[in-house]
Amino acid sequence: MSWETVIGLEIHVQLSTKSKLFSGGSTEFGAESNTHVDLIDMGLPGVLPVANREAFYKAIRFGLAIGAEINQTSTFDRKNYFYPDLPKGYQITQMTKPIVEKGSIKIVIDNEEKVINITRAHLEEDAGKSIHDLFEGETGVDLNRAGTPLLEIVSEPEISSAKEAVAYFKAIRQLVTFLDICDGNMAEGSMRCDVNVSIKKTNESELGTRAELKNINSFKFIEKAINYEIDRQIRVLENGESVVQETRLYDSEKNETRSMRSKEEANDYRYFPCPDLLPVVISDDELKEIISNLPELPEEKEKKYISEIGLEESEAKIISSSKTMANMFEQASSKTNDAKLVARWLVGDVSALLNKENIEIDESNLSAENFGKLIERISDNTISGKIAKSVLEEIWENGSDVDEIIESKGLVQIQDESLLEEIANKIIKSNPEQVLAYKGGKDKLFGFFVGQVMKETQGKANPKSVNKILKKLLS
Amino acid sequence: MDKKTVTTISYLSRLKIDAEKEDKIINDLDNIIAFVDQLNDADTNNIEPLSNPLEKTAKTRKDDVTAKNLKKELLEIAPSSNEDYFLVPRVVE
Repeated sequence: MSWETVIGLEIHVQLSTKSKLFSGGSTEFGAESNTHVDLIDMGLPGVLPVANREAFYKAIRFGLAIGAEINQTSTFDRKNYFYPDLPKGYQITQMTKPIVEKGSIKIVIDNEEKVINITRAHLEEDAGKSIHDLFEGETGVDLNRAGTPLLEIVSEPEISSAKEAVAYFKAIRQLVTFLDICDGNMAEGSMRCDVNVSIKKTNESELGTRAELKNINSFKFIEKAINYEIDRQIRVLENGESVVQETRLYDSEKNETRSMRSKEEANDYRYFPCPDLLPVVISDDELKEIISNLPELPEEKEKKYISEIGLEESEAKIISSSKTMANMFEQASSKTNDAKLVARWLVGDVSALLNKENIEIDESNLSAENFGKLIERISDNTISGKIAKSVLEEIWENGSDVDEIIESKGLVQIQDESLLEEIANKIIKSNPEQVLAYKGGKDKLFGFFVGQVMKETQGKANPKSVNKILKKLLS
Repeated sequence: MDKKTVTTISYLSRLKIDAEKEDKIINDLDNIIAFVDQLNDADTNNIEPLSNPLEKTAKTRKDDVTAKNLKKELLEIAPSSNEDYFLVPRVVE
């Protein structure tokens, strides 16, 4: 029997505001426990929430970028449940009138584009953090995160594999970081997702019963959790049993999902309009202002890099895939006349170093200015490409200035052709056998002579000149 | 309204209901629901849902951090805490 998978994602994106959604508490990550807690975050009697306008602006930017409808009047509701890290006993969210509705985003899977529709994106407050394993028989609660603004992005159930789910999550991450509304930091929990998975027989139109996988925060785990869950549901159905609608927890250590039913029993959030908050209205002028300040998005950048700068499609794709790469490319290119060479080095040697350490370019010692200068020194023939590699490695280690490295290590390329000819002659004299063999037809030996000259000059010889001189001397 | 529903909603709202009062409460709730049910007779076609009876819009804040560090004071008023955290009975097994 063949089965089809139906997946919908709810992605929680932490908006990069300085203060919380309804209070003046700080949203800074990693602060000492319970130091960023305002009376409103505590839910103390007599306090009233006041919405942070910036959070609406950021949400609207997202809405515009996915071609969605923006509700210029949006309202808040209460989602009621009890948990120690939710001090008020309810979460303020947007159930009936979310700020963003009906948009879409493109993903690419095996070189094919697919559009995933986005049902809605609404603002809501985050909960605090429970610490379960620090105290005997007790749970510690840190409320620093309570009230942090989240944008919950809900997709239509149009995703049909774990791979697509990951591609969709990556596309959303790329977008929110380009829009500068979220830092995209998965390790710090700035993006988390709940995954709804169900399966149905291939020809059936009705969706199967879904299970919800909670709070997954890495690309790898999304893929693994979904694949495990698909297999589990197929096993259940093929055994003649039925899938239970429930929340399941993904255990990354055991690579399995487990039912959380015991705690979720009879949960019913009893949504109702939040009486503490009036509708928030965004004016036409504000909306116009946000539209005019919308940054250039990855797709536009990619097109521009190809048509205006003449990059290869593959290069343009890699560079526009992350905001930090695109920034580095654009800033470094402005320091040199050779943007194509910037791109080649960025996609080649720089990416290799980044991959090796698994970091983003803005976490490295390489500044755009220094990188631009490095490329300029290659294109004006001050140093050879080979030397440039060692200069890049040195910058990578300690962030030193390109010109200082070149000067202090005497790396300037030898352009003086008479000097190079002298060295080449010396090499030819001391290797008579190879010369004989080369002249006898072993063309490959040419590389040997080039190598010897480079070795003699510690890589500083201009390779073009060396080639020219050797060709002349060996002919 | 039946016993099971009352048990469920009292659990969800963490309210304890004495067994001897249950019948009275079921009766009261039935009456309240019947009263509110009259709203269903009103024709609400083409009427925007009202999210707040005050016909005003919200004042909002600028994105500024204004809160002070109240850690010590807030932990002190909690029923149970240590120097860093609010403490509650363990919530997972």
